[in-house]
Amino acid sequence: MFDNVGKTYPTGPFGRGGVAAVRGVSLTVPAGTAFGLLGPNRAGKTTLVKLLLSLCKPTSGTITRLGGPTSDRRTLARVGYMHENHAFPRYLSAAELLTFYGGLTGVKTADLRPRVDKLLERVGLADRRREPIARFSKGMVQRLGLAQALLNEPELLILDEPTEGLDLSGRQLLRDVVAEFRAAGKTVLLVSHVLPEVEALCDRLAVLVAGKVAHEGAVADLLPKAGGPPTLEAALKPIYDRGAAG
Amino acid sequence: MTTVPSAVRTVRWMVRDTFRQSLATKLFWVMLGITLLATTFCAGVRVSGTPLTSHPAEIPMRLPANDPERKKADAAYIPTGGGEMTLGFGLFRLKTPNSRDDGVRFVQLWFAGVLADTGGVLLALLWTAGFLPAFLEPQAVTVLLAKPAPRWTLVVGKYLGVVLFVALQAVLFVGGTWLALGLATGVWHAAYWVAVPLLVVHFGVFYAVSAFLAVATRSTVVAAFGTLLFWVVCWAVNLTHHSLAAHPPENLSGAASSLLAAGYWILPKPVDLSGIFFDALGAADFSAKVPELDAFQVVGEWQPGLSVLASVLFAAGMLAIAVYEFKDMDY
Repeated sequence: MFDNVGKTYPTGPFGRGGVAAVRGVSLTVPAGTAFGLLGPNRAGKTTLVKLLLSLCKPTSGTITRLGGPTSDRRTLARVGYMHENHAFPRYLSAAELLTFYGGLTGVKTADLRPRVDKLLERVGLADRRREPIARFSKGMVQRLGLAQALLNEPELLILDEPTEGLDLSGRQLLRDVVAEFRAAGKTVLLVSHVLPEVEALCDRLAVLVAGKVAHEGAVADLLPKAGGPPTLEAALKPIYDRGAAG
Repeated sequence: MTTVPSAVRTVRWMVRDTFRQSLATKLFWVMLGITLLATTFCAGVRVSGTPLTSHPAEIPMRLPANDPERKKADAAYIPTGGGEMTLGFGLFRLKTPNSRDDGVRFVQLWFAGVLADTGGVLLALLWTAGFLPAFLEPQAVTVLLAKPAPRWTLVVGKYLGVVLFVALQAVLFVGGTWLALGLATGVWHAAYWVAVPLLVVHFGVFYAVSAFLAVATRSTVVAAFGTLLFWVVCWAVNLTHHSLAAHPPENLSGAASSLLAAGYWILPKPVDLSGIFFDALGAADFSAKVPELDAFQVVGEWQPGLSVLASVLFAAGMLAIAVYEFKDMDY
């Protein structure tokens, strides 16, 4: 939950200047929903995710993560995070990476091996488990990124542009994972530019423009209906324009 | 909130990851290769001559054969040592005025005191300088920072991993050369092993500076060359302090003297670390000490224990600043 959150990145000598990436955002991601975060480039979507994950600190406002303050890192043990363009250590193999990340997440040693095997099977990398990541394609790295996000069986899954580089079967895999989370009553926060993806996967969405929430509501409300915009894209366009003007 | 088990677990995983990184970057094998070369060299050393004597009338300084005192000692049948050393399995022959033990200790002084303690430490600092900046790159670390592991343990774990990796290499280097020299010459000096903790402290102290620069700038170039420059500054301050403390110039103001003393006690002391090894090996029997350190010892002000402690405290302070900086850093 974001309550009037702002984030300004210092710029210039001695940080005197500043660029406001997020401005007065108040937003609640209801538990058990698949929540889409949309917006044009530099709208502040990734900053909002970083704030939620304690990767940076808000300049103003308060953020609650899974019922606790973001300063309590223990709640991160219940969060899975997949980043759009993460550079995993190239010297590790897929199995070594998952074992390493699982260890840091606090997965018990006894559970680690079977869980790593299961996840590699799930994301289609079981036969490449001993291969160094340096030899992986972008799509394979994305699959590995998804596997590491699921290591701790999270209650909240955060996916930041997850379909970048994924082939058709990879996208299907992602849809299956989100569907499973929804069925299990867990929460998914999906940051994406791909509207059909948001339309297919999410119950609710928020549109961020120039660091502010320009719209929030059920996806169904924006879907094509008689007399309305013919596509989700068409429905979002005036929201983007309004946000940019305001 | 950080729990002890979670901090220990993270540090353990980071140490393990650093060893994997050193293997993958071939650094492990490069350093092992250097150790093998040094060990092979030591296996080819032969020393002949009188064993180390403890004759009550033995003159402490080894003198050349044409020295009048030496001639007098020879005439009185006082053992003065001397013999021949061959290197490279007999390829090169050197006359030595010393005993067999001194010859072996001379090789040990060069290997651990000069090659490893200066060249080795500086090369290790250069080679490992990229480990932390690469790890701290935003694209590489964001997913790790989103794990529940406390942030400070990531930096401390990486630091410890690198220091333990260098410690392992130091054990292999000192152990390998000690074993090879012992087998080749029959001379076994346990004091040579003092080089291991000294090398580790020497590296660890300056790697803390490298870690701080890495956190502050995320630049391998700054971490590498900034640390080397800092080492040179510390070495110069250490030497200047000893020189001026032993022979205080008349026109040195009290403020300048206090400033130099403060610099000496605050900064790491690479010359002192070398001096400790020199003394542990008893190298004064066959080699001259750094004159500034020698003069400082003569005036009775040298405190090697405190010197090491101050250097270690400096490293702890640097690491604490690095951790503090990283703890709240925006990504």
